[in-house]
Amino acid sequence: MVQVESRAQSSGAASSPVVRFEHVTKIYRGGGGVRDLTLDVHAGEILGFLGPNGAGKTTTIRLLLDLIRPSTGAIEVFGLDSRRDSVAIRRRVGYLPGDLALYEQLSARDVLSHFAHLRGGPSWSTIRSLADTLELDLERPIRSLSRGTRQKVGIVAALMGDPELLVLDEPTSGLDPLVQRQVHEMLRAAADAGHSVFLSSHILSEVAQVADRVGLIRDGRLVDVERVVDLQQHAAHLVDARLHSAPVRETYASLPGVTLCSVSGNDLHLEVAGDLRPVIAALAASDLDDLSVREPSLEEVFLSFYDNDD
Amino acid sequence: MTTTTETHDPGEAGLRSVFARAMREERRALIGWTIGVVAFCLVMLSIFPSIHGNVNFSKLLDAYPEALRKMFQVEDYTTGPGYLRAEVFSFVAPLLLTLFAVLWGSDLSAGEEERRTIDLLLANPVSRRRFVTEKWLALIVGTVVLAAALEIALGAIGPLFKLHVAWTRLTAEVLGSWLFAVAFGTLALSLGAATGRRGLARGITTTLALASYLLSTLSNLVSWLRPVRNLSLWQHTLGVDPLGSGFHFDRIALVVAVTLIFGAAALWTFDRRDLAT
Repeated sequence: MVQVESRAQSSGAASSPVVRFEHVTKIYRGGGGVRDLTLDVHAGEILGFLGPNGAGKTTTIRLLLDLIRPSTGAIEVFGLDSRRDSVAIRRRVGYLPGDLALYEQLSARDVLSHFAHLRGGPSWSTIRSLADTLELDLERPIRSLSRGTRQKVGIVAALMGDPELLVLDEPTSGLDPLVQRQVHEMLRAAADAGHSVFLSSHILSEVAQVADRVGLIRDGRLVDVERVVDLQQHAAHLVDARLHSAPVRETYASLPGVTLCSVSGNDLHLEVAGDLRPVIAALAASDLDDLSVREPSLEEVFLSFYDNDD
Repeated sequence: MTTTTETHDPGEAGLRSVFARAMREERRALIGWTIGVVAFCLVMLSIFPSIHGNVNFSKLLDAYPEALRKMFQVEDYTTGPGYLRAEVFSFVAPLLLTLFAVLWGSDLSAGEEERRTIDLLLANPVSRRRFVTEKWLALIVGTVVLAAALEIALGAIGPLFKLHVAWTRLTAEVLGSWLFAVAFGTLALSLGAATGRRGLARGITTTLALASYLLSTLSNLVSWLRPVRNLSLWQHTLGVDPLGSGFHFDRIALVVAVTLIFGAAALWTFDRRDLAT
């Protein structure tokens, strides 16, 4: 419900996305990078950026932050040029690096107050209340903190300025499930307030849980961007049937909507896109011992995406 | 837990700038180097009373080959300025300052890249130029502290060991050492900013600093080196013997200009590269 409201709020600004990548290419000598990436992030949405490690997620995020520069193409954030107006952009962006490194000699408090000073921004009480929410002890030196606790420091650093755009590279890595959920709630709250979130992950369930849209990146190319709702709606159904006698493969493979058909013994396995009725009708006409129909998880949807591509 | 953190509002006391954090991170090292420089001065000064005005020593040194005397600058060895020139400023004190400046300079930008802290730092609204400029400023202030310790140790404690030297001449010599150190420290910062690699910055800079020293010193002995010795920053800072002849403002201006070019190169290259890829 809330998602719909926030989208309605931001529909006026739909013509000018918060982030716009236009045919961005950045290739490293080793061959990694991103190729011809075109992608928008809108106000009030959480865009999940999904892909295996090394697919180009971090490259995309670091391009956005102007830490690296595109070989070709243009990146606009808030309608500003990512390179020329980088400082103005970063004033309005909260960033959590995937490979988070903090000043080992300093305490969490010193690190956060340092960044707060550089931002000329958030008050100490804001920082403290965020830290309290995540149960983060600010007095300990960074070098004594566990990976998960460091990650909390990074999350506070990203969120403390209440930025219009949050850019988070694998934000929940190293966090226990309870804290992960807390972070997801914080991101949802930011999006509901009309802010945008661009988060990367290699864990599909995380993206499915928190994101409004999902972009799939693979080998540096954006494969597809879909609304999570649409993905779930248009997902193929999985049909498993056990017949009394061995089924004839061709009978089912030629049915409309069947994208995959396999037979082993008396067992029949089908993937059906769209209308199920022709399949059900065909099955009803045969001797049916057992039948199950289920929706695939988002994970399976994307995995089939990968398989079809090869 | 909440109650203890409430009493610790960093407010004004926090690290307000990149410069402030650079100084905080270097604080311990700077104290260590300062103690080292002062200790070195005290050891050298403590030996001076047995050398001061010692005729036998003068005779001994006069018997040295001229080449050696020139190389190690042992003219007037038994006077205060002569002793300082030979024992303090001929190599060790400028070397200490330069080593400190190069080690730190190479770490200021490249260290943040190698430790990968630069990502989160530059997520803040801090331009790359401001980052390098503030780090450079820290290098300058840090080396001034070290140079001041050198000057005070020699000028204020020297008389206790019968070593007297005019403050202006001592200042000219310390300034020369400091300029040499800052020039190479800035070069190290610049190479680090251009490549993101500390080791490379250190290696190249140290080699060039030593070459600069050798070129200037050996040109006193080897006549064919004389035409090219003006390529040496050591020549322009300490080679002209500020301890004996005072300030050479034209040379100072030249070294300052070279240092500014190194600094500008750091700003220019750092602004244009991909960081920590």
